[in-house]
Amino acid sequence: MSGNGEVIVTVPEAAVVEEITEEIEDVRTFYFRFEDPDRERDFRIRSGQFVMCTVFGAGEFAVSLPFSPEDDRRHISVRRAGKVTGALHQLEPGDKIGIRGPFGNGFPFEEIRGRNVIYIAGGIGLIPLRSSIVHLLQHRSAYGRIILLYGSRSAKELMYRYMIDTWRETEGFETHFAIDRAEPGWTGDVGFVHTLIPKAKVPVDNSVAFVCGPPTMFNAVIRELTSNGMKDDVIISTLERHMKCGIGKCQHCAIGRTLVCTDGPVYTYRQIKTLGEHI
Amino acid sequence: MYVITREGLRDLLESLQDEHALFGPVHHEVSGEVLFDRVDDPARIDIDAPIPFNPPKFAFFPQFGRILRYTYDRRTKDLRMEKEPLGEAKALVGIRSCDLAGLLCLDRFYLGQEFVDEFYLEHRKRTFIVSASCVRPFAQCFCVCTDSGPCPREGYDLNLTLLDDSYLVEPGSQKGAEVAARLNMPEADPGLVSERDRRIDRSISLFDELARENKAWISRVVNRITTGFVSEDVWEYIGSQCFECGACAFVCPTCSCFNIEDANTLAGSTDRVRTWDSCSFEGYTRMAGDHNPRKPVEDRRNKRFFCKLSFSQSKKYLRPGCVGCGRCARICPGDIGLPNVVACIRREITGRE
Repeated sequence: MSGNGEVIVTVPEAAVVEEITEEIEDVRTFYFRFEDPDRERDFRIRSGQFVMCTVFGAGEFAVSLPFSPEDDRRHISVRRAGKVTGALHQLEPGDKIGIRGPFGNGFPFEEIRGRNVIYIAGGIGLIPLRSSIVHLLQHRSAYGRIILLYGSRSAKELMYRYMIDTWRETEGFETHFAIDRAEPGWTGDVGFVHTLIPKAKVPVDNSVAFVCGPPTMFNAVIRELTSNGMKDDVIISTLERHMKCGIGKCQHCAIGRTLVCTDGPVYTYRQIKTLGEHI
Repeated sequence: MYVITREGLRDLLESLQDEHALFGPVHHEVSGEVLFDRVDDPARIDIDAPIPFNPPKFAFFPQFGRILRYTYDRRTKDLRMEKEPLGEAKALVGIRSCDLAGLLCLDRFYLGQEFVDEFYLEHRKRTFIVSASCVRPFAQCFCVCTDSGPCPREGYDLNLTLLDDSYLVEPGSQKGAEVAARLNMPEADPGLVSERDRRIDRSISLFDELARENKAWISRVVNRITTGFVSEDVWEYIGSQCFECGACAFVCPTCSCFNIEDANTLAGSTDRVRTWDSCSFEGYTRMAGDHNPRKPVEDRRNKRFFCKLSFSQSKKYLRPGCVGCGRCARICPGDIGLPNVVACIRREITGRE
C-alpha cells in the first residue's frame, strides 16, 4: 500500500549522557553515546540536520546538531526554555536520553566549494552553524575567505568561545565580535552584529553567507547583506519550529507550503521569502 | 456486478466480522445521531443512514493513541521501551463517497510522501472497505463541488448502491471480488446498472443551492488561495468569526495534524500519546520560550484553508484537500465552514470585478 518512502520507526534510540558542560547562562552541552554499539558506530549525519531528543518522563523536542560528521564526540547544546528542555537540564552524567533521526536536509557544501563563506550568528544561533564551521575548517583549502561575525547581548552570552579560540588557529579564519553594550575588558565591537558587516569588509562577489539568530537580528543582517548587493540565493539560514514528529506528518512546523522538518531546516533567503509566513 | 438483498447485506457483514473488527454507521442509542463507530453487533449498522456526524479516520488515526510506553528509573538508569502493538484487521462498512475520498487523502499523505508513517501503516494495512453511493444528498453536502461524490470511483473493495429493496454491488479490488464470489452473490442484470446511473444523476440534481452555486467557483478559489490573491480583509473577517475551538479539524475527513505528548502514569511508566491537533489552536506553533511565529487567529485560519484548497497541498493528496462532506459547516459555531469561506472569497472576487 505504501509508496517508495522509507518507513520511519518512531521509537527513540537510547543514548547515555557522558558529560555535561555549562556553556553560558541557561545553556548546557550534553555529550552522548548510543547504548547500542552498532548504532554508535553507524550513526551518520549531514551537517545542518537535527534530531528529536527524548527526555524520559518529560517529552521530546527538536534540536539542531552542533557537531560535525568529522567530530569524534557527539553532543547537543540546549538552552533551558520550556518544560522538556528544563527537564533535560536536570539530568546528570550517566542518565539516558532518547534520540530519533537525524532528520532534515543539511547545508549545501557541494554548491559552495571555492567560495568565500561568511558566518553571521546572534547568541545561540551559533549552535547550528558550529557543525558547518568545523566541516569547512577541516576542508580549509576548498574555500576562500572564511569569516565569522558573532554578536550577543553581552560577552558572557557568547557561545563556544573556547572552541572559537581553537578554530582561530586555522589559518585564514577571520573573526569579529560585537556585544550590545560596552563592558570593562571588552576589546571587540559594541553594537548589533549586522554593523560588523561593513567593518569586516565582507566580500560580496563569489560569497555565501550563513545567517542564524533571533528574528530581529536576522532581519537586520539580511537588510545589510542585500543592500551590499548580496543575492538572496547565497544567503543561507536554518530555521527552527515547534515539531512533534520530524518526518513531515504532524504538520506543526509548516511554514506556508513547506515543512521545516523535511524540506528544511536549511533554506536560502530566496526560499524563505516565498514561504508567505513570518519566520 | 452483483445484486444483493438486505439479507444478503447481513450475510456480507457477518462474513466480514469473522475476520475483521467491524466499523459502520450506527444510530446513537439516546440521541439517535448517526455516528461512524466500531460495532460488535452487525445488526446495528445502518448503511442507509444519513452521513455520520464523524468521519471514519479514527479507525486508522485514533483521536488518542498510545504509540510507546516506557519506564525510566533515574536511580538505576534502567530504561524499558515497549512499542504499542497495532494492526488488527478492520472492515469499514457504509463509508460514503466523500469519506472514502478523505481516507485516500490520508493514505497519500501518511504513506506516499518522503517518509512513511509506521503507525498509520500498521493501522491501515489490513482493511476491507465497503463504500456506499449516496442516492440522495444531505443538506450539508457539496461533494459535487470537490469531485468526490456522490458515487465513489476508487479505493473500495465493494461499493453498494441502494436500489429500492436491494443493493447493486461493484467489486473494486481482487479482495472484493473474492468476497462476492465466496458469498455466491447473484449477478446483476444490465438494467440494474443503468438504473444505478439514473439514481446517481438524480442525486446530483438534488444538491443544495449553496453547493450548486459554489460548484463553478471552487477552482477559482483554489487559484486565488494558491497564489495568495485573497486580501487580508477577507482573512481578518474569517479570523474574527473563528472561536478557535478546533471542531472543524476534528470532524474533517482529511485533517491529519497530530500532537505528541509524554504522559506520566501513576504506575510509574510514561505513555507517549499521539492526539489529534488543530492548526486553529494558538499553542500549535508556539515554541519553547513562547515565541509564536503564527500567533494571530487570521493567520491560523488562513493556514487551514490553504491546506484544504491550495494547489501545493493538493499535490500531496492528488486532489483538493476538501472532500465536500460539509461537516465543518455543520459544526462551526462561527459559521465559517468551508462553503462559506468559498462564498466570502467569491464575494471578494465578484466585488472587485
